[in-house]
Amino acid sequence: MTITPITQSLVWNTLVSIAEEMGSTLRRTAFSEAVREADDFSTGVFDRHGRLLSQGNFTPGHLGSMPAVVETVSSMYPGESLKPGDAIVLNDSGLGSGHFPDFYMVTPAFVDGDFSGWVVNIAHHVDVGGAAPGSQKVIGVTEAYQEGLRILPIKLVREGAFDAELLRMITANVRIPAAVEGDLAAQRNANEVGVDRFAELLRSVGRETLDAAVDAILDASEKRMREAISEIPDGTYSFDDWLDGIGEGETGLIPVAVDVTVSGDGMVIDFSRSGDQVAAAINAYFNYTRAHGFFAVKVFTDPELPQNEGGLRAIEVRAREGCFFNPKFPAPSGGRAAIQIRIFELINGAMAQALPDRVMAAYSHWSNPILSGTDDDTGERFIYYDLIFGGYGARHGADGLEGTAPVINCANIPVEVHETHNPVIIHRLALQADTGGAGQYRGGCGIVKEVELLASKASLTLLGDRHVKPPHGLFGGEAGTLASSTLLRGGEEIALISKQMVDLQAGDILRLQLAGAGGFGPAGDRDPAAIENDIADGFVTELCAARDYA
Amino acid sequence: MSQIRLSFDIGGTFTDFVLQDPERGRIRFWKTLSTPHAPEKAVVRGVKELLAAEGVNPADVGMVLHATTVATNAILERKGSKTAMITTEGFRDVLLLGRQKRYSTYNMHLAKPDPLIKRRDIFELSERVYLRGHEARAPEQAKIDALLTRIAEAGYEAVAVCLLHSYADPSHERLIRTRAEALGLELVLSLSSDVSPRYREYERSSTVTANAYVKPIVARYVDRLEKALKAEGLTADLYIMQSNGGLVSPELAADFPVRIVESGPAAGVLMCRAVGAEEGIKDLLTFDMGGTTAKLGAIDNGEPAILPTFEVDQVQYTKGSGLPLNISAIELLEIGAGGGSIATPHLGGIRIGPESAGSEPGPACYGNGGTKPTVTDANLVLGYLNPGTFNGGNMSLDLEAAREAIRLHLAEPLGLSIEEAALGIHLMATANMERALRIVSVERGRDPRDYTLVGFGGAGPVHAARLARALHVPQLILPRGAGVGSAVGLLAADPKVDYAMTCPVRLAEGAGATVKALRDDLRAKADADLDRLAANGARRHRLMASLRYVGQGYEISVEMPDPDLPEAEFLEAACARFGAAYAKTYGYHDPARPIEAIDWSFEAVMPIGAGLNAPDRLGEGDSRIGTRKGWFETTGPVETAIHDRYRMVPGTPVIGPCVIEEAETTILLLPGDRAEISSCGNLVITIDAEADTAAQSMEGAAA
Repeated sequence: MTITPITQSLVWNTLVSIAEEMGSTLRRTAFSEAVREADDFSTGVFDRHGRLLSQGNFTPGHLGSMPAVVETVSSMYPGESLKPGDAIVLNDSGLGSGHFPDFYMVTPAFVDGDFSGWVVNIAHHVDVGGAAPGSQKVIGVTEAYQEGLRILPIKLVREGAFDAELLRMITANVRIPAAVEGDLAAQRNANEVGVDRFAELLRSVGRETLDAAVDAILDASEKRMREAISEIPDGTYSFDDWLDGIGEGETGLIPVAVDVTVSGDGMVIDFSRSGDQVAAAINAYFNYTRAHGFFAVKVFTDPELPQNEGGLRAIEVRAREGCFFNPKFPAPSGGRAAIQIRIFELINGAMAQALPDRVMAAYSHWSNPILSGTDDDTGERFIYYDLIFGGYGARHGADGLEGTAPVINCANIPVEVHETHNPVIIHRLALQADTGGAGQYRGGCGIVKEVELLASKASLTLLGDRHVKPPHGLFGGEAGTLASSTLLRGGEEIALISKQMVDLQAGDILRLQLAGAGGFGPAGDRDPAAIENDIADGFVTELCAARDYA
Repeated sequence: MSQIRLSFDIGGTFTDFVLQDPERGRIRFWKTLSTPHAPEKAVVRGVKELLAAEGVNPADVGMVLHATTVATNAILERKGSKTAMITTEGFRDVLLLGRQKRYSTYNMHLAKPDPLIKRRDIFELSERVYLRGHEARAPEQAKIDALLTRIAEAGYEAVAVCLLHSYADPSHERLIRTRAEALGLELVLSLSSDVSPRYREYERSSTVTANAYVKPIVARYVDRLEKALKAEGLTADLYIMQSNGGLVSPELAADFPVRIVESGPAAGVLMCRAVGAEEGIKDLLTFDMGGTTAKLGAIDNGEPAILPTFEVDQVQYTKGSGLPLNISAIELLEIGAGGGSIATPHLGGIRIGPESAGSEPGPACYGNGGTKPTVTDANLVLGYLNPGTFNGGNMSLDLEAAREAIRLHLAEPLGLSIEEAALGIHLMATANMERALRIVSVERGRDPRDYTLVGFGGAGPVHAARLARALHVPQLILPRGAGVGSAVGLLAADPKVDYAMTCPVRLAEGAGATVKALRDDLRAKADADLDRLAANGARRHRLMASLRYVGQGYEISVEMPDPDLPEAEFLEAACARFGAAYAKTYGYHDPARPIEAIDWSFEAVMPIGAGLNAPDRLGEGDSRIGTRKGWFETTGPVETAIHDRYRMVPGTPVIGPCVIEEAETTILLLPGDRAEISSCGNLVITIDAEADTAAQSMEGAAA
């Protein structure tokens, strides 16, 4: 059957809109701040053969993992064996997207009684139990068993209704059961919306046309991706860096490395030279690594390429088993969100040799602290979840963007919202002068945020980076300044490591200083007018301008 | 007071006028070229011409109504006043950081939109309001004075003040205003606690900054306009349209100019409401398609849907890319799909936009140098448009140029015939609007089968019938006077003000007193504004709250029961209304979960019995004026009847497939559609319920 461009476009348009509509349903009914404020969720539509047809443009961290999940689920629960309204849930790090808070819900789409495809969504839940609230504690967590509830695929929803016994088991093991239960309901509803729309599409075009249109879409996506890769010069490009924060200073460094081989219209991204998996909850399970590898390739080829299986065929992501980017269970991984920008940066660093006009210097990194305890005023448990984003590295022809979300694409959480719902006071949220790496194009500035605890006690989990090795510059641009995390207690300043967990008491102030981003090109080539503007706007002081741009 | 009313809407190209004289049963449309450098000049010219044409004495006009883009343009073109901002110490960068999310996830190389002011224009003041834990720290008078003096001496004309938590405690912001007045400084202040007392500091900062940025310009404009109208002998009160669809006095518009940013588009939706009222229909979806964009909106039970916030100056109409304004506005989803949107091959399919040929050079068929295929070119090639009578016969279209553009850029690369490619463009453009209309309807809890679609704008009616089918909307109305839609809509507007504030309240025992107090506060402000309007009459009040389950992050807006009810009764009714609204939107609700209110808004309307109430001229005789070859399927053209709208008479329907031509637009009916002129002169179309166009067109295309 041949498919005209018109049919193909209409089918594709509808598939994308189904994934988007599922996403807006999920976002608007969710309780988890990660979902509703940070868009830490994904939606997808698969055909009955398990091929990814479309995905909502939410977090990129799930792109590579969703097809693997559908494969696993369909092998355990063949679609034909399920009933309309059933849904399978899992949150395993290895099978899923790399840490327990991400719950997958996979729902078979039945159309007029026939199994016809899958709709899937993933949502980051507020807490799944384990050693610390939020289930993202890094240091001191040495195996996944300390990270909370692990769910291998189970049929949690039967013909539209939650299995009360399984649900009781789940909610018994999490800190805020009402939120988890509410979010599971939101996930179920999002999938119901997806099934309805998918059925409408299938009825309007027929199964045969849909299959043929999907073939055409996947092939066209693959072709476009291969064309884009062909434009990159052949060769093997490598980059090495370090993550920090699982121990003091240099002892807490984890070596990370990538070798990107471009040959013809294919690409292999290999992380095998990286260090071994670590006994701290920061390991990147392979599904997670692969997802961000795909993300980076899209950025450097065609950002508008459809999110489907076809586009991924030209790319192979590898990592040696047992290495940091492909750990073996029970490697702990709760805090792995901290490294997604670093996977991108590794590939970005390697591509600098091949695509100097399309890369950027290193990002100033971000911080994802979680502060939890009991609100003395209400007697209720609170979880203060924060997202602090620094500046982008400078790039060819432009300074780094100030304060923008890294790979994970979230909004920050307003100070006034935080102070309304949590016993905290935020004293400062400001760009810091003289932190961005100097260069022909300047790196974005670091940001400082100060948070005071009002409750009598709370536990703090830090998720930061770049405290030991600063964000690098490119092509002669300078590195940005280092990040730091400091506890201010009774006039004393206590330095923390980037992924520390610490108990706070009332009156403690946490000061998080993000690194400055890297510069691009030699500082001597900077336009004097740009230097003057930086001084006038306070991004650079006169003193530092005289030093860096002399 | 005389019943004669005059309205005008200033657009980028034309200034549109309507003169309504109910006593004589007259309604007259008029257009003049706009004068963007001094918009009031076009107004004066048009008013003179129109009044002369109708033989109306300026002194006999009883009411003058106005929609304006003066505030919008100052923002879009970054031509506002030199503006400073004062904020809480430690939070200088809130405005520059924004919400930090990329509006395009896979684009790591995007640029942020230019802010209205730079970091150097933002000044910190030592002060703080705390919600708990500490006593508020008021700013020192000497420091305020020094800062204000410094700002004035640096040559700033306007100042935006946005301090943390000022929505809860505005006293520090007010102190700054008091000091500015005491010092006698020539600074125009805007306080965030006046302009938008709602939480979320970035959105509030953005709103008050935009207000400050355009305030001096709007004040000067309104002053010039009033003087110019008075000089012409128009002594009637002037009313200005706000984004929320309500009219206000020029003084209020000048105080809160950020409220009039969506003035014109709001009036367009009111036109739809008025047309619905004429036809006895209360649930409407609105579809306005012009040269570069399409705007989709909704009217529920006779009331245009109002959203508490919107964005101005988006990048390619992408959500999250513009400047957020915490201002109530008529709900409109704008997408980059207009008659000038360019079609390109993409991954073996067809993509429409976001690039647009706009009006310069315009579609290839305009013959002004455009070479890329656009939606209008496709509609011409398909036989839907008449090359000879475009825009009332003022333009002729070049069919060969349209065919060549489509052949070269789309048909050949995709291996299609020119007509196949043109049909593809038409269908894909419609599909883009379908997606947007689906968001406005299905995703927001509106079942399209219960609604009537109103199509207007130059490019809308040629897509409207197909759009209606795709979403199973059973009825379509194409109003008369659609070419001057916003000016017509002004005639259907009432004076209206609304005030909103953030005050988190759990809907539980003890909430009643809090709600009553905040209602009283909001009502006093709204009534004071209406008191400033010359007219007095009955008022309609409404208290809305944005509600959610405790712990959620998004709210649903729900009209509140009367807070003067006994508390238990009030709470029960409020929770029930939320449950019903939640279930309508999301399909379920959980009566056991606690509910909280976040934002409150109070609306006061003074109904003035506005409406169109003047019949259009009605035709006579046979409306069929010929036939053309029209393409509805890729298999081949069919001989398609062409009708003249102005000859159509009530009781004599026209059946699709056919084309109905009128001065400013062209209407396309699909097979089985049935159109009839109503006694008010609107074209009312019953979409054939038998045919399922989505399936038909896809199958047809797939064959």
